[in-house]
Amino acid sequence: MVILRSEFRKLTTLRAPWLVLAAGPLIVVAGVTGLVESGGNVRNPAVQAQALAHAGLAAIITLLFGILAVAGEYRHGTITDTFLSVPARGRVIAAKLAVYGVVGAGAGLVSSAVALAITAAWWAAKGATLHLAAGDTWLTLAGGAAANLAFAVIGVGLGALIRNQVAAVAAGLAWIALIEGIAGQLLGPGLARLLPLHASEALDRTNILGAGRLLPQWGGAIALAGYAAAFAAVAAVTTLRRDVT
Amino acid sequence: MELEVLGLTKKFGAVTAVSDVSFTAPAGKVTGLLGPNGSGKTTTLRAALGLVRPTVGSALIGGIPYQGLARPRRTVGALLEATGLHPGRRARDHLRVLAATAGLPDRRVDEVLDQVGLAEAARRTVRGFSLGMRQRLGLAAALLGEPGLLLLDEPANGLDPAGVAWLRGLLRELAGQGRCVVVASHGLAEVSQTADHVVILSGGRLRFAGPLLELGTSGGALESAFLKLTAAPT
Repeated sequence: MVILRSEFRKLTTLRAPWLVLAAGPLIVVAGVTGLVESGGNVRNPAVQAQALAHAGLAAIITLLFGILAVAGEYRHGTITDTFLSVPARGRVIAAKLAVYGVVGAGAGLVSSAVALAITAAWWAAKGATLHLAAGDTWLTLAGGAAANLAFAVIGVGLGALIRNQVAAVAAGLAWIALIEGIAGQLLGPGLARLLPLHASEALDRTNILGAGRLLPQWGGAIALAGYAAAFAAVAAVTTLRRDVT
Repeated sequence: MELEVLGLTKKFGAVTAVSDVSFTAPAGKVTGLLGPNGSGKTTTLRAALGLVRPTVGSALIGGIPYQGLARPRRTVGALLEATGLHPGRRARDHLRVLAATAGLPDRRVDEVLDQVGLAEAARRTVRGFSLGMRQRLGLAAALLGEPGLLLLDEPANGLDPAGVAWLRGLLRELAGQGRCVVVASHGLAEVSQTADHVVILSGGRLRFAGPLLELGTSGGALESAFLKLTAAPT
C-alpha cells in the first residue's frame, strides 16, 4: 500500500528517529553492566533473569520513538502535507501504527539480542555459565521484545492524542517515573497490576517496581495489547475531526 | 477543474473567520484571492483542502470535496504558509516522501526540482535553506502531481525580483494550459500583473468576485478598489 511505503520512507530519510532507537541497546548494555558491577551474583539464576529483562527496559526508548510518529509531524508542520497527501486520516494513523510498530518490534529484537550478548559476555568474564536451556531465558527475551513493540504503538497513540511533542514526551516519562507508582498505591495491588508499567514488568518477567502482585506474563501481554489498541483507537477518532490550522 | 466555494462559513469557537462566502475560481485563469490580514483567505483555502471542517457550506474541487478525491496530489497542488519542512530532511527526500503517496517516480521529483531551480541544492538538508529556497521547494511540492488546480498562499514570499518574474511567467503558463490557479496574496501590484480574476475578502465576508478588468483599467485601479472595498467595518 502506498501509505505504508511513504510512512516508511519518512523514517528512512531522517537520522533523528534512529538515533533515538540506538539509545535502547545502549541502555541495555549500561543496565546489565551496572547490575554486575554493583555486586550482582552471576551464579544466581534470578540475577541472570534480571539481566536479560533489561531488553524490556529499552521499551521506554521505543515509547519516545512512537511519540515522534504523529507529534513529530505536528512539531515540524509536516502534518499538513501528510493530510493533503492522504485526506483519509484514519488510514494515516493506521499506517503509522503499523510502520512504527514493526520498527519498534525490530528494535526490541535488537535490544533482546544485545541483552543476551552482554549478559553472556559478563557471565563469561566472571567465570559463570549462562543457563540458556532454562525456559525462563527465552520467555524473558521474547517478553522484552514484545514490550518494545507495545510501547512503540502506545507512543504513536499518545503522540496523536497530545500532538505537542514536548508535552507527549513529558506525559509519557512522568507517567513512567512517577504517576503510575502513585496510581498503583492508590488503587491497591489487585488493580495496580493492570496498569501499563506493571503490565510491562509482567511481560518482561521483572519487578523493578517492587509490586506486591503482577499478572502472569501472558496477562501482561494482553493488558499491554489492550492499552495499545485503546490508545490507537482514541488517537484515530480524535484526529479524524480535528482542524489542522 | 474549478474551485467552487458555496456559502462557506467557518467559526473557530467565538471567532467567525469566514462568513457566507461564495465564489468560483474558473479553470484556465489566474484568480487572485485578496484581503487584509485576518480576512479569511487562508481559512478558505484550508477548507478547500479538507484541513478545516466548514461550519456551514462547502468548498468543492471539480464538484467534490477534497476528501473525495481519488488522487489528491494529482488533482490539487497546494502551497500554504504553514506547510512545514522537517529541518533534518534533504530537499529531494522531502519531495520523494510526497511522491511515494502519490505513486509518482523519483524521476518526477528531479523534474520539478529542476523546474523551480533547486536541482543543485536538492541533496542538502532543509535546515540550511533560505526563505526563498523553502518557497521554491514548497512550489515544487505543489507542482509535483501536475495538478489541474493550484492553491497558493503568498507564493512570491521570499523570492527575489528574478524569482517573482519567473513565478509570474510560470503561473500564466499553468493557466494557459487550462489549469485553475488561485493565488492568495497581499501584493496588489503583482496580482494586477498576473491575475485575470479577483476575489476580495474582508472581515470574513466577500466584497467582490469577478474579472480584474471590472475594477478598472488604470494602473492603480486594483489598489483603489481594494482599499475602498475593505475599508468599511462590517
